[in-house]
Order: sequence, then C-alpha cells, then structure tokens
Amino acid sequence: MGKATGKVVKLNDAFSFLGGVDASTGELKVEDGGNISNKIFVFPKGKGSTVGSFVMYDLMVHGKAPAAVINRSAETIVTTGAVIASIPMVDNIDVDLICNGDEVVVDGDIGTVDIKGVKCIGAVSSALIVDDKVLLLKRPKTARSFPDVQSLVAGKIEPGETPEEAAKREIFEETQIVVDKPNVSGPKIYVREGDVIWEVYPFMYKLSAAKPVLNHENVSYEWFPVEEMKSKKTTVAKTNEIVAEMLKM
Amino acid sequence: MDLTREEESIFNGEQGEGAQKAMELVVALGKIYEAQDLIDITSAHLSGASYKTIGDGGLKYLDDMVKSGAKVSVPSTLNPVGMDRERWKEMHITPQFAEKQLKIIDLYGKMGIKTTCSCTPYMGDNVPSFGDHVAWAESSALSFVNSYIGARTNREGGPGALAAAILGKTANYGLHLDENRKPTVVIDADIDGSVFSYSMLGQAVGMAIGGGVPYFRGIKPVVEDAKTLSAAMAAAGSVALYHVEGVTPEAGNFDVSDLDVIHIGKKELQEAYDKLNTTDDVQLIALGCPHLSVKEIHDIAMFLKGKKKRNKDVEVWFCTSSIIRDQCPEDVRILEEFGPVLADTCMVVAPIEGIFQRTGTNSAKAGNYLPTLCSQKAMCRDITKLMDVIL
Repeated sequence: MGKATGKVVKLNDAFSFLGGVDASTGELKVEDGGNISNKIFVFPKGKGSTVGSFVMYDLMVHGKAPAAVINRSAETIVTTGAVIASIPMVDNIDVDLICNGDEVVVDGDIGTVDIKGVKCIGAVSSALIVDDKVLLLKRPKTARSFPDVQSLVAGKIEPGETPEEAAKREIFEETQIVVDKPNVSGPKIYVREGDVIWEVYPFMYKLSAAKPVLNHENVSYEWFPVEEMKSKKTTVAKTNEIVAEMLKM
Repeated sequence: MDLTREEESIFNGEQGEGAQKAMELVVALGKIYEAQDLIDITSAHLSGASYKTIGDGGLKYLDDMVKSGAKVSVPSTLNPVGMDRERWKEMHITPQFAEKQLKIIDLYGKMGIKTTCSCTPYMGDNVPSFGDHVAWAESSALSFVNSYIGARTNREGGPGALAAAILGKTANYGLHLDENRKPTVVIDADIDGSVFSYSMLGQAVGMAIGGGVPYFRGIKPVVEDAKTLSAAMAAAGSVALYHVEGVTPEAGNFDVSDLDVIHIGKKELQEAYDKLNTTDDVQLIALGCPHLSVKEIHDIAMFLKGKKKRNKDVEVWFCTSSIIRDQCPEDVRILEEFGPVLADTCMVVAPIEGIFQRTGTNSAKAGNYLPTLCSQKAMCRDITKLMDVIL
C-alpha cells in the first residue's frame, strides 16, 4: 500500500533481511550492497528467517527503511515486514527491467512501477527456421541498439502497423525474403537497453528454403542449429528464450 | 479477494488503525496464496515471543501494537520465551535480556494473549476441536492440531497469526480447504515405538519428502509420540499435516492406493540419527522440545528416582509449561535434584549460545535448530542414554 519515489538499489539474488542489512543504518551486508535507506529496494524474492519481518520494522523505527520494495514474487516474510512497517511494496514485476540507479515511482495501491526517463518502444523479432536452423543476423558495431551482436530479424514497429505487418516488412527489408503467415506468434517479452524498454513481439516462420540478401542494417548472417541456441552467448538478450518458447508452442 | 462489507470497512480504516493494519496484513498474505476470502477462526497461537529471536525490532513492533490499542478477539496463546520468568539466573541469563523479555511478555499480555508461553498449548490452555479453523504459528503445534486433532491451520508466521487473532479471521487457503488435506505419499514405518523412535522417524520423513502430506501405516502414536513426530517433521522438512492409519481423525477419509509408498526402517532411521549427532560430549542436556507432558515428566521421575547425579559438570534442564509443571509437583521434586524444571522456555529460544557449545537432546527438532539458532554441536539420544552421561 502507498506510493513512493526514489532511486533504485537492486540485488540480483534472493535476500534475507535477517543478517542481510544493518537495521540501524540501512547498510546492506551483501556484496555490492549499498544503503537501502529511503531508496527503492529491488530484489527478486525474500528468503531466510521469519524474523526478517521484524528487521524491516526495526529499519523503520531507525528511520532507515527503504522507501519501497519491489519483488518479482512476494513471499510471507517480506510481505509481512512491508505491511507492519508501512513500506509500499509491489510484486509481480520483471525486476530485470529495473537497473541500479534508476529513478522510479512506485504505486503500491495499484501495483505499478514507473521508471523515469525510460521509454517503451514496440518491436518485432522473427525467427526464420529452415531445416531446424534459425537465421541469425550480425549487427554492425555502429548500430544504435544492440551493436556487434547477433539477433533474429528484428526492428521497430512503425506507427499504424500491426506487429505481424511489421515483422513481414522487416524480414523483407533486411533479407529480401517474402513470408506469409507466421507459424507461431510468441508471448510478448520486454528487454531493457539503456533508457529504452523494448516491448518485443516474437514470431516464428518455418520455411522450406530461403536465401537471405542483406541490406545495410546487418553485416553477415548465419544459419544456426536451434538445439544449440541455449549455449549461444553472442545474441541480443532473451533471443534464446524467445526461440525456445516458440518451439514449444 | 472477496471481502464482506464488514471486512471491507475494517480494510478501509473505519474501525481503527490497529484493525486496519491487521486486515491489511491478512489480506496481503492471502493474496500471495490466492485465497478467495477470509474465514472465521476459533483460536490463535503466536510465535515470536523470545527476545532472542525477535530482537529490538520485534519488541518495538509489539510496543507500537499495544499503543495502537490492539486486542485479540479470539482465545490466543504464546510460544515459549527466552527464559523462565522466575529462574532466569539459573539459566545464566543477563539482567538486560531478562528486562526486555519480561517487557515482551507484558506487551503480549496487554493485547489479551494468555502468557503461559508454551509450544504445546494443546496440552494446556488452548485446545482446538475437530474441524475448527484456527490460526496457529509454531510449526510443531500447528502440525499436531492439524493432524492429531483435525483442526485446520496453515503455517502462520508471528505477525500474521497476531493479525488473525485481532480480527478473529484468517485468509482461507491451503490447509483450511479439503482438497489440500489429502495425503500425498504413504509412509510405511518400521520403528520400535519409543518416543525417541518417533523423533528419528519424523527426521527421516522430513529428510525424505521435505513437504507434502504423509500418510503413515504401521505406527500407533499416543499424544507424546505425535507431539514428537510433528515437531521433527516440521523441523527437518515443512510438513504441517499428516495422517496415521487407524489413529488420526481424517485418515479414514482417503483412498491411498494410488500413492507412492516410502519405506522408513533401520537404514533411514540411522541416517537421521547420524545427521543430528555432531558431538559425543555435552555441557548441557536439555529435555522438553516440544515441552514435556505430565506423563513424560512422570516417566523421567520414575527412571531417576533413587539415583544420584554424579557428573556435576553437565547441566540438565527440563523444559515444560507452567501449567504442566504445576500439575505434577511430586515428580518435579525428583527432577529438581538433577536440574531445574524450567517453565515456559526451552533450549532453542533461550540465548544459550555464549554459555554452552555442546548440548544433548532427545528431540529431532532441537537437533535441527541447536546448530543453526544456538551455535551448538548436538547430541541426539534417547532420554535414558542422555541420563547415562550424568548418572
């Protein structure tokens, strides 16, 4: 409940308030910690002793409580602590989209987090599959977003376009390949890059054969075996997840 | 969540800040577990009573609750505290600790909670009936009342149980619902039937299954056995409900023919024993986790009667509730020749770290918590074997 504004202090691992923070100063006792006093404290999930709830209360008593807590998933200890110490809390948030140092506005009443200065841009990302291999395009070092990594056939959605229309257009522009209907439309995912959150609509097209002809947006291409995608490290964030998810559908 | 008009008005603060805070917490916890609504409870049992475990944060929280006028609306009891109220000096407790501990007890009392301070209120002043919905913290006690009595509670935390006690309601999910009380696995147990064997059985089952609802065959636990079994499974795993064929009240409701069967025998009991025993040499022997019953005190008294404590270097604590201690003065007198019979406290929630390093117990629950909460090496044996150390 309640609203708060502040700067983010974020941890990437599950956190225990008991042993994890000095209640009289708000100083974290974990590696790369920082001070959570009056900050927006972001971590995936609570863990550890139920006494952690009282540590949150103790932080409040000392005036060192975080301004708000953001979790990926709520559990009993942190939820209890947040309620008794009147710390606004929001859960069910993709904490990967929030970075250390972000200025955020948290609304605990409706459960939203607004990151200041960050805009959300719609994009498409299409997996073209031929013979269990997926087309990966290498982006130039000078690209404004995701330079020097491999991606699916991706691009922004233009005003007035549906995601599927955008996917078809981008595929033709970047590869000269003409596609019809996608075989799979994957669930929307979000990727954070600097001050942009990409709202990505994934598609999968299974083709019998294809010969890409690249434009200036990419420097090379590769047909890569889909079952080896899991170990592929040189792609745009979440590419592996997109492909794996759509192959299941 | 579906709230009644009355509950809604509490949530919106129309009936005071204390009630609003309690409702906010019960609703927030219910949301995590996707509760559809709230359910009336007939009693509560609260954890978070020892100054050692809740610290200054907990003390301040209770103080603020009292100042806001919070009062429980259903019969409520409290877990053991960090010391015997009268005999804390015999437990090597500092006056600073004692002062804060007494303050905590006083604060709970002001909210209308009975301050007997026991982990076995079902043998004292808080006895649910079959089918009662209750909000209990204390993993061993809630498992006992769920299983042996057939009352219904989830594993509540301290503040959650207090909030439920104030409202007389808790979120309706988990073990309050029929579908979640079905057995998940059958345990064929082969034990000698001593109380200690129930401790090891609970440890072995907790280690084998973690959580879930085990259905036991091959055992006939009496109250003391079930108390021990409940405590051990809740400490070694997170079992909050079990059934025993032909013994517990709900066991007959289920067809278990399709469930997996796990056999617990000599080998598994030995593994449980090895896990809990990390020393052969102790400075303290502490019995009563969970609190000793009248029968257990009597059995120990009969065993010790006429014997002498020869090993003066080892202290012995017998832990029970003040209610039970008052019920058997003759037996208590015999025990007192060997060590204090302490009321409303135990070795796990007392600040024994810094005083002792190695502690003996007959409890698998204590065997789990002595190393983590009390920095002890533990010796986990049958009572007569523990007594051999001092006789």
